[in-house]
Amino acid sequence: MTPALSLRDYALHYDTPTGPVRILDGISLDIGRGEVLGLVGESGSAKSSLANAVIRDLPGKVHAEHGTITLAGDDITALPEAELGALRGRRIAMVFQNAATTLDPVQTLGDHLLETLGRHTGLAPAARRDRALELLGMVGLPDPAAMMARYPHEVSGGEKQRVVLALAFGCEPELILFDEPTSALDATTAATLLDLFRDLQARTGVSALFISHDLGTVAEIAHRVAVIYGGRIVEEGPTEAIFAGPKHPYTQALLASLPRPSDRLEGRGLATSGARPAPRRGEMPPCLFSASCPHHDPSVCDVQRVHPSHVEDRQIACARVARGETLPAPQAPAPLQSPRGETALLEARGLSVTYGRTALVDRLRGRATPQVRAVRDVSFRLNRGETLALVGESGCGKSSLARALSGLQGFTGETMLAGTPTAPDSAAWRARVQTIFQNPDSSLNPRHTLATILGRPLKLFRPEVDRPAEIARLLERVHLPADYATRYPHQLSGGEKQRVAIARALAAEPDVIICDEITSGLDAAVQAAIVRLLREIQATTGAALVFITHDLGILRHIADRLAVMYLGEMVETCEIAALDAAPWHPYTEALLSSSHSVDPGSDTRRVRLQGSLPKRTEDVSGCPFASRCPRHIGPDCDSSRPPLRAPEPGHDILCHLSDAALNAVPPIWQFKTSDTTRTTQ
Amino acid sequence: MKTLRALLRNPQGAAGLALCALVMFAALFGPALAPKDPEAFNFGARFAGPSAEFPLGTDWYGRDLLSRILVGAQSTVLLALLATFIGTAAGALIGVVSGYLGGVVDEILMRLTDALMAIPSLLFALMILAALGSSALNAVLAIGIAFTPGMARIARSVTLQVRSFDYVAAAKARGESLAWIVGAEILPNTIAPVIVEGTIRVAFAIMTLATLSFLGLGAQPPAPEWGLMIAEARDHLFRSPWPVAVPGAAIAIVAIGFNLLGDGLRDVLNPRTGDHA
Repeated sequence: MTPALSLRDYALHYDTPTGPVRILDGISLDIGRGEVLGLVGESGSAKSSLANAVIRDLPGKVHAEHGTITLAGDDITALPEAELGALRGRRIAMVFQNAATTLDPVQTLGDHLLETLGRHTGLAPAARRDRALELLGMVGLPDPAAMMARYPHEVSGGEKQRVVLALAFGCEPELILFDEPTSALDATTAATLLDLFRDLQARTGVSALFISHDLGTVAEIAHRVAVIYGGRIVEEGPTEAIFAGPKHPYTQALLASLPRPSDRLEGRGLATSGARPAPRRGEMPPCLFSASCPHHDPSVCDVQRVHPSHVEDRQIACARVARGETLPAPQAPAPLQSPRGETALLEARGLSVTYGRTALVDRLRGRATPQVRAVRDVSFRLNRGETLALVGESGCGKSSLARALSGLQGFTGETMLAGTPTAPDSAAWRARVQTIFQNPDSSLNPRHTLATILGRPLKLFRPEVDRPAEIARLLERVHLPADYATRYPHQLSGGEKQRVAIARALAAEPDVIICDEITSGLDAAVQAAIVRLLREIQATTGAALVFITHDLGILRHIADRLAVMYLGEMVETCEIAALDAAPWHPYTEALLSSSHSVDPGSDTRRVRLQGSLPKRTEDVSGCPFASRCPRHIGPDCDSSRPPLRAPEPGHDILCHLSDAALNAVPPIWQFKTSDTTRTTQ
Repeated sequence: MKTLRALLRNPQGAAGLALCALVMFAALFGPALAPKDPEAFNFGARFAGPSAEFPLGTDWYGRDLLSRILVGAQSTVLLALLATFIGTAAGALIGVVSGYLGGVVDEILMRLTDALMAIPSLLFALMILAALGSSALNAVLAIGIAFTPGMARIARSVTLQVRSFDYVAAAKARGESLAWIVGAEILPNTIAPVIVEGTIRVAFAIMTLATLSFLGLGAQPPAPEWGLMIAEARDHLFRSPWPVAVPGAAIAIVAIGFNLLGDGLRDVLNPRTGDHA
């Protein structure tokens, strides 16, 4: 049987004002019928360009294109635009990352479906409507008839992505291309959507190319996986085999830098030896990875261009593996301990952040304007040298809390620094509490050199130091060469920029550093390196960290304590060690279960959230999580505020469930170690 | 330097740059280049067409038009640039401060600029001249003030985008002064669109300045200001077209030159259409 999609020696070069750039080359891939091929790679690996090439919608100016792309035996590389129009949507469908921009805001969800069906099927209008309703039901949207009439802004992000999924499945295509379909969604929503796709794929038998930078997601869904680096496939084979025993040095490094749920139990550290970006212009080295490869041997690797060759169960582009060698995976450094102290440094009591002000009209009519309570009555304490992680999904108030603690957002409540009440917008607080922002592209002024960026906090907080020498020392502290001082941010890579942002925070010699999602946009190896750098800094300076993230995996490598936020409230605070076993708040349990990770040695119990979030302006009388809670125990959950339970010292859970019930929750992970099967309970 | 090279690769930018260079050359070295005294009468050669002696012809007093244009370039072009600079600088500052501070300050400043923008800039300039008295420098000031609200609007809209970047939040969080945040963090990042708008407005300034002179409210005779030259020559239009056509063409060249330069700069400074890798 011919494969659903087949690429043979496909190469693509774009023309840019500074000369041709190699995007893809030597790509040979097959996707069998009913098969899901996962394509994983770091940012800049050209994985999205591959999807663009398959759907024949190349955004750049093509310099050269070679090879063939065949869809069920038909070569589509040379098809004219008119025939491609008939192909797209009907035979190949695509699901993009951002459903918010995929859907047209002025069309109803129903119009989207009817238009696609009308264009590609010969169905009569009434039959089209029936089919659209069927599709909406199929993707698990409640009340399809009402959904048809809604506009994209009236539904949630997860629901939008479900509609996009319905559009993709609408004309029963042979192949669906998924380009990071769950990356923009919250973990709990992404997990339900991934389940839905797996179910639909099994039912319809559609073939799919599933592109993601998140190896955990791909491990969940793909039958086979291809690893792309610098526009070439370096390793391809069955998913379990590749993730359990990566053979290519690049794949090995990639997997060694990913956190796993079992890390804390096994004392596993993260490898920080990331790959440098592959060369894109001029003469290509025989092996693209040779510049970053720890096993590079010129006498073997540089003899001729390295092509993928068949080794056991997989295709692999490595000259040494092809000769039958087994290359050892990189050794990760052991995790560093945090310099955790016993005295309280930063305390917050009853902190609330409210957005929106009473409108004039409402004030005149004596009515309250609905306000968004982003953070509600949060209290916590941060000890010297400790790392407190704030975890939650979008809209849980973690960033509002960070802004309040940075003095950027007004709030009610009390904040204390080393036992003295201090306001976050006071000079005393600013000198001791520094913030690192999420995106270094926007937190570093593009018009300033690094010397200016690092010099400003020195001028403000430590005017007595010799500035040029201190800037050089700061750059060195974050492992950047001192001559970077004259550079501008755009001359640096993403990871380097974030290091500069860290250096800027260090310049003030702070006692507390607030890290607002600082590793979210970074590749795994860079993230591992940044986390290690933070730990090193803590070890030398004794600074305490407030580490805000939505990624649970990385927590075990940076945090001492953990606070889980849901709709502005801290629903659980505990030691990081307590995360590995019950009790959990039901939301924490779902969050932990939804975060996919590549861990061949563990099984994850599935906990999925149903139901919708309450409106942000609503004052919920009961538990804020009641509408989605899988462990809902009755009317109490909806009507009265949950009590604060302390199943063990230093562990607080805001829940109606009794301590005994919370303790009786079965473990989320089953870890299989080499000698015995161990459960964590 | 990079901008200049990119500008030369852009056809509009290159043409605009060439025309503007020509005009600036005339403005700076005009008096030295002028072959004759711009105010010397030649009664023997009134209303002469272009000839070897008078390359662009003469006017009703027999004054050499080429010399008058070259000498007049200084007052016309430099005054227009000055007027634009005043309008751009004042507008950018108001816009950035207003956009950054937001709230009541923004509301007051923007409603004021809205009110000013409701009046056509020529009428507004006339009003200011009526209050200040007519002179070339007052005309420049009037045009500068008339341009301010429009520039403020543009600078404000760019500032609203820039303000949401974290580097502004970072500056606020470390307690920087308002002057540093506005002057060093925001202003440099809003400058590209403001410069582009400014170059386009140079052409408007020249035309408004010429109009004011035409109405007798700017430069006074016998100054060889281009607008004034047209105003004076219109009585003699049916005797000879040259005294009107030559300064008219000069104004058109400057206007087109700066417009092209503005278009070119807009393309080059825009990262999306500029030299992206």
